[in-house]
Amino acid sequence: MFNQRNNGEGFNALAYLLFNFILILTLILCVCVGSVNIPFTETASVIWKALTRQAVESSSYTAIILSVRLPRVLCVALTGAALSISGAAMQGLLKNPLADGSTLGVSSGASLGAVLAIAFGITIPSLPFSGTMVMAIAFAFGSLLIILSLAYKLDYSLATNTIILIGVIFSMFMSSIISLVTTFAGEKVKNITFWTMGSLAGSDYNNAILLAAALLIFGTVIACHARELNAFAIGEDNARHIGVNVKRVRLTILICVSALIGVCVSIGGTIGFVGLVTPHIVRMIFGPNHKRLLPASSFCGATFLMLADLIARTLLNPLELPIGVVTSFVGALLFIYIFYQSRRGQG
Amino acid sequence: MTLLDINGLSVRYGDKTIVDRVSFTVDEGQWLMIIGPNGAGKSTIVNAISQGADYTGTIRYLGQDVKKYKPVDLAKQIGILAQNHHVGYSFTVAEVVRLGRYSHAPGIFAKKSNDEERLVEEALEITGLTPIVNQSVLTLSGGELQRTFLAQLFAQNPKVLILDEPTNHLDLVYQKQVFALVNEWLKGEGRAVISVVHDLSLAKAYGTSALLLNRGKTVSFGDMDSVFSQGNLESAYSMDVYAWMREMLSQWT
Amino acid sequence: MKLFQKFLALVLAAAMTMSLLTGCTVSGSETRSPETTEAPADADAQTDAPTDAPTNPPTDAPTDAPAGIIVTDMMGREITLTEPATRVVALTASDCEILYAIGAGDTLVGRGEYCDYPAEVFDVPSVESGYEMNLEQVIALQPQVLLMSTMAQSKEQVESLEKAGIQVVVSNAQDIEGTYEAISLIGALMGKDAEAQAIIDNMKTTFDDLAAKVSANTGEEKTVYFEVSPLEYGLWAAGNNTFMNEIAEMLGLTNIFADVDGWGAVSEEQVLTRDPDYIVTISMYFGEGPTPVEEILGRTGWENVTAVKNSAILNLQNNELSRPAPRLADGAQMMYDFVYEAK
Repeated sequence: MFNQRNNGEGFNALAYLLFNFILILTLILCVCVGSVNIPFTETASVIWKALTRQAVESSSYTAIILSVRLPRVLCVALTGAALSISGAAMQGLLKNPLADGSTLGVSSGASLGAVLAIAFGITIPSLPFSGTMVMAIAFAFGSLLIILSLAYKLDYSLATNTIILIGVIFSMFMSSIISLVTTFAGEKVKNITFWTMGSLAGSDYNNAILLAAALLIFGTVIACHARELNAFAIGEDNARHIGVNVKRVRLTILICVSALIGVCVSIGGTIGFVGLVTPHIVRMIFGPNHKRLLPASSFCGATFLMLADLIARTLLNPLELPIGVVTSFVGALLFIYIFYQSRRGQG
Repeated sequence: MTLLDINGLSVRYGDKTIVDRVSFTVDEGQWLMIIGPNGAGKSTIVNAISQGADYTGTIRYLGQDVKKYKPVDLAKQIGILAQNHHVGYSFTVAEVVRLGRYSHAPGIFAKKSNDEERLVEEALEITGLTPIVNQSVLTLSGGELQRTFLAQLFAQNPKVLILDEPTNHLDLVYQKQVFALVNEWLKGEGRAVISVVHDLSLAKAYGTSALLLNRGKTVSFGDMDSVFSQGNLESAYSMDVYAWMREMLSQWT
Repeated sequence: MKLFQKFLALVLAAAMTMSLLTGCTVSGSETRSPETTEAPADADAQTDAPTDAPTNPPTDAPTDAPAGIIVTDMMGREITLTEPATRVVALTASDCEILYAIGAGDTLVGRGEYCDYPAEVFDVPSVESGYEMNLEQVIALQPQVLLMSTMAQSKEQVESLEKAGIQVVVSNAQDIEGTYEAISLIGALMGKDAEAQAIIDNMKTTFDDLAAKVSANTGEEKTVYFEVSPLEYGLWAAGNNTFMNEIAEMLGLTNIFADVDGWGAVSEEQVLTRDPDYIVTISMYFGEGPTPVEEILGRTGWENVTAVKNSAILNLQNNELSRPAPRLADGAQMMYDFVYEAK
């Protein structure tokens, strides 16, 4: 994975060390700062004891750090990484810098699944995760299949524009169904409203493990397709000409992306802009080569979302802001700035 | 030895027939020129060979249906230079050219051989791109971009080159250079070239065989002289091509 | 473009949710007594509505009615009816409840989609309320009176309704006093003043009884946490200026989120440090999975919260404490029983 054979296109070990350093620094910051002010020494000692498996006295500080903050920060970091690597992959695959899980309609499909699960109280007995997650993943896959087959019907070559267009239309369609479900959900409308705001509050270690597993499996598969994504980003025809199995690679990437987004949406709701903005910023710094873009996006996405969550948790203490509001606000400003800069750069 | 054998190739979009039962072969050492007026279906044939368009009929490479080849294996045999290039992101020239080696080491854990980088550098060298190797492709002129993808094709090192209007964006110097380069490349063992060309003079100068199309149908296929007969050209282009060419040339005396 | 729209949509959605959740208390920071119904600034538009009240309510009722009814609604608008209303559309759940409580449920010809109590209300045709209020639906029902609250209805909607000859009456209860006012207002409109007064007296008696019992009970002050949305969807708590908070004070309890105005998304960390003695959750249970109480008891990290240790968790499933309606008294009684009688 450390790219010995990458002709210098990938990062070297030192760069990865630096990324990890920044990531861990942010993680420590986010675990130490929160709604409740806990002395740093206390935080450090609680975590040290937990790491070394010493008995920790159960106090409210312990509970806050180990049961509330740490799992949440981990989930946030993993979600940020997963959404960003998905966004980077989509943007490369579709050769469209505005592509994202949400543009493809995968996010809204996943949302619909989760909303249905809430509205109809769908739970899966004897499974450690709730019905919302299973439904979100299932619907993310389902949306993908519908979008793909529609695109395939309309345009044999699955041309990039067709997919995006269908994704956007599908996205709107899903949103309207969500509104419809909400209207008929009656007494559960409140839960649905809360859910659609997107919340990583209440994340636990099970969620973190699930996210980590998803990121490990699907993120790795995506990362292994860095060269194919480069080819797609240069052009789908060119990809085919140099020998990329375009249909297989596209399907693989889309499946990985929808799985990642499904898991993220079910755990944290729809969180906008991370998957879109992070790859852009990374591309500005490290260039469009996916050998750098994919790992850097996941590191930066994790860092960005952790910081956004930190703001969401502490800005209006004791109230919490929805994380989506923070990411959209910061993300939109950043995006406009970058867009302006890059347009000016191109002349 | 016949490298490519195309038999009864038809391409339809909806109920519109773009290419209608076209058959031709390309042998080792040959340079086949596909000519014909706009809308003759020239580029569509290239797309079909690269598996970028649905078609009926058969395309065989060394006797085996190309559909049976895996994409990477086909890319090692047949390389294609597209007519237009719209790169989405600011990749460097080197990154684009290096991707030409994709089919030779597609596995993520494949070992890197020293040849790899040498072939890339050679390709950059012969296309004159070495000075701008780290430049973003978004900043290139049309000619530089065309040469970048030509270099990618040389790096890919296939047996058959298929060039769709290879000198589309190139000024005279590079037109000459590209045709000279391809001509030189063709001398290697077991190689052949197919190119779609608008410039009939260029076609005449370098081609060893030709396929003349009009409205998707074959007007003539065979050696240069038989295809480039006055009657064939006139029926395809609906004008006296010979007279026009002479008139053009007469200016240069 | 799409992105910008998405962003806008998100911000809008956020704003709407906030207003939906806190709407009841936005203008209620200063408590108003029924006498001083000065309109908040943002409602000026509505008081500007034409004062020449429509004179021809669509009716085929007998004409020899008693003298006209003149009431002032809770936005200070004067409403004149020639006779008690017989066809009413109520958009808010609390007004529906009041109508049924005073025995005027049979006059209800349409209801807002969130009206869910008592069960008979589901037999009444439902109309869209809020910004998406379906004017045609409402007008087609030919009500004489439309009952609504201040939230979410726009000036244009009100004007259109009044042009159609429908009297718009605004109830705007922010506290228990306001609830009494709403009940007597609706009572007057329906010609059921006596019934309304009986209900108010009944509520007052209940509250006074509870307050008296509580003041006799001199223990240390206990704290309570009102959970409006469960952890899974992000914690929301009821803070200051909510009915829950008012009832808690009446019962001698301190709301741990008294520093939050209205309903708000609160930090889980804060709940753990503020360590409530009691938890009241209004999550509904739909018959599957753990009940709201079980779910709270099972939360990791909450083991040391006093309420969890003592299993002192009450689930009020039916909005007893979130609506300005007669059932506030039931909710208060349930909470009293839970806090003081359960042991």
